[in-house]
Amino acid sequence: MDQFVQQVVTGLSIGSILLLVALGLSIIYGSMGIINLAHGEFVMLGAYAAWMFQQFFGLGLFASLVPIFLVVAAFGWFIERYVLSFLNNRPLDTILATWGVGIILQQAVRLLVGGELRYVQMPSSLADSTNLLGVPVSAYRIFLFIAAVALFGLTWLLMNRTTIGMKLRAIVQDRSISASFGIDARRIYSLTFAYGAGLAGLAGALVSPLKSVSPEMGTGYVVDSFMVVVLGGVQSLAGTVFSSFILGEVSGVVAFLQNDTVAKALVLLAIIVLIRFRPDGLFTARIRA
Amino acid sequence: MTTLKPAGNTGRYRLYRELAPIIIVCALVFAVPLIFNNDYLLNKIARYLVLGILAMSLALSWGYAGILNLGQAVSFGLGSYALAMALKLKTVPIQTGSAGLPDFMAWNNVETLPWLWVPFESLSFALLAGILVPAAAAAALGWFMFRGRITGVYVAIITLATMVVVNLVIIDQQPYTGGFNGLTDLAQLQIFGISFDAYGRSTYYLVAVCLTATMLIAFAFTKSKAGLIIQAIRDHESRVRYFGYDVGAYQIFAFALSAAIAGLAGMLYTVVMEFASPTFLGVELSLSVVVWCAVGGRQSFVGAFLGAVLVAGMQGVLSESKAFLETWTLIMGVLFVLVVIFLPKGLAGLGQTVRARLRQAKDRRDEEAISQVLKPTEGEL
Repeated sequence: MDQFVQQVVTGLSIGSILLLVALGLSIIYGSMGIINLAHGEFVMLGAYAAWMFQQFFGLGLFASLVPIFLVVAAFGWFIERYVLSFLNNRPLDTILATWGVGIILQQAVRLLVGGELRYVQMPSSLADSTNLLGVPVSAYRIFLFIAAVALFGLTWLLMNRTTIGMKLRAIVQDRSISASFGIDARRIYSLTFAYGAGLAGLAGALVSPLKSVSPEMGTGYVVDSFMVVVLGGVQSLAGTVFSSFILGEVSGVVAFLQNDTVAKALVLLAIIVLIRFRPDGLFTARIRA
Repeated sequence: MTTLKPAGNTGRYRLYRELAPIIIVCALVFAVPLIFNNDYLLNKIARYLVLGILAMSLALSWGYAGILNLGQAVSFGLGSYALAMALKLKTVPIQTGSAGLPDFMAWNNVETLPWLWVPFESLSFALLAGILVPAAAAAALGWFMFRGRITGVYVAIITLATMVVVNLVIIDQQPYTGGFNGLTDLAQLQIFGISFDAYGRSTYYLVAVCLTATMLIAFAFTKSKAGLIIQAIRDHESRVRYFGYDVGAYQIFAFALSAAIAGLAGMLYTVVMEFASPTFLGVELSLSVVVWCAVGGRQSFVGAFLGAVLVAGMQGVLSESKAFLETWTLIMGVLFVLVVIFLPKGLAGLGQTVRARLRQAKDRRDEEAISQVLKPTEGEL
């Protein structure tokens, strides 16, 4: 029983990190159709921002969350404005361009800050572990789970209960008709991309106390979280949640039974098969065309 | 507007005009050893030429067939490993263990030669396998994708994921693949009594001959009927399907042909580098190939080849100092983004792109001039 609870908790923990990273990717891919290969680098920027705020301004992780979101969102806005907006209707080229942007960001950080590992301190209030159904669980991991769910809720509200969200959904359905109703698609796209980037930055900041911060840290996340988005289905935020926790649990269990490599390989193979037979994902919302 | 000209002559003229750069480049490649009399340098150049062949293989599937294979390095790596396995079994001082096992197997307590390795006792089998295994693997993956009418972005994702899986498996199965270290300490390749020393001229000429052959084969393919249909599929898939062509079959064929060329390049790479490593089928190499094609021109074999030689060569020259290399990666990234945005056809299409831009600008000026002239007349009415 303890073993089982332990497994479920590990899976939930992996899942909440996946959800944090995938949320931004899902919004960008779902609404703009851009496969953002620089997403991992936004995560990395967020983690470095957390480190910098701590190192140079002595700010704790909680105090720096809002500035981190703003800083990384500004990066995203800039990249959308000056790179991606040139690539309308060239989806394959956006993969290449965002990949190039990723290299630039990674290399720039390596040159400016150095390639060595950095560490971010955990907020002292969350450093202990608590007992959950007889299994010790680190308080920070519980906090991550709550933060992931809260950010998801916030994003859902933003998409479905605000004017900006409504405009974005209108553009996704039909760009030219939305434009004729006076919606500025360019501006909405920039804001969406900035928001997605900001979320990635938050994800990076939130996982930074658990992992060491390095220029390459983002690369692994982008593949995993892209798989989450594909599994969950484009334009389906709820699907993203389900698929992050499914993937988290599955990789937790397989890693326990076999090893990490087999877990990774099997998950990837399952996703390849899934894309082949259901390219729209498992939880696609049916939209009237 | 296009003006109609007698088809026969123009067609032949165009063919010559497209063949000329190929012939010039290949002639230059053969002339290099006459100028540089330095074995170390020749080995380096041979390496870039091999990477150029790899870039051409991607140009075939990406530029001509519209299939962006982000896992092109899988075919390259399979070819490389196929030859390395045969050469490993030929290493003269057989290291340790009974029955002439390769050294790393003995270290991993493997008792007998695994069945997968047995056929590689024969060099001719390995040479065939280096081309046919990647082609068959690509055909299988192509069948899986294109029969399901998977296109565009999803092809890129599936090929990328496949490569990660293959790479993980090869690193994980250390007793059979050498794991992270790859296959090192190989014998020299010997065909028809000629031995190919990595630092000898024979190897350089082997690479040059293979380069010329693949460039001509790839060029001939794009001029064949199948090649034309492939390009039509790239431009408008469903229209070709309505004409009754079996789109999937053509895509599978182009995908497999591209993999076969990449496999050949992989074998040559083993000869030139004298080892095979999991990095040969890693994400980094795969994405570099995409950069080379994008910079050089994805719809031109000569362009893709030169893109690879230029970019990889520049990287090689600068990698002597570490600080330079890091700055170079940054510059590379910026260059790549600029090329993607402004030169979708790469350097090979530079002239074309500039001409198109100028024409646009001229059209706009003309329109403005016309509207200037028209305005007062409207006023008079």
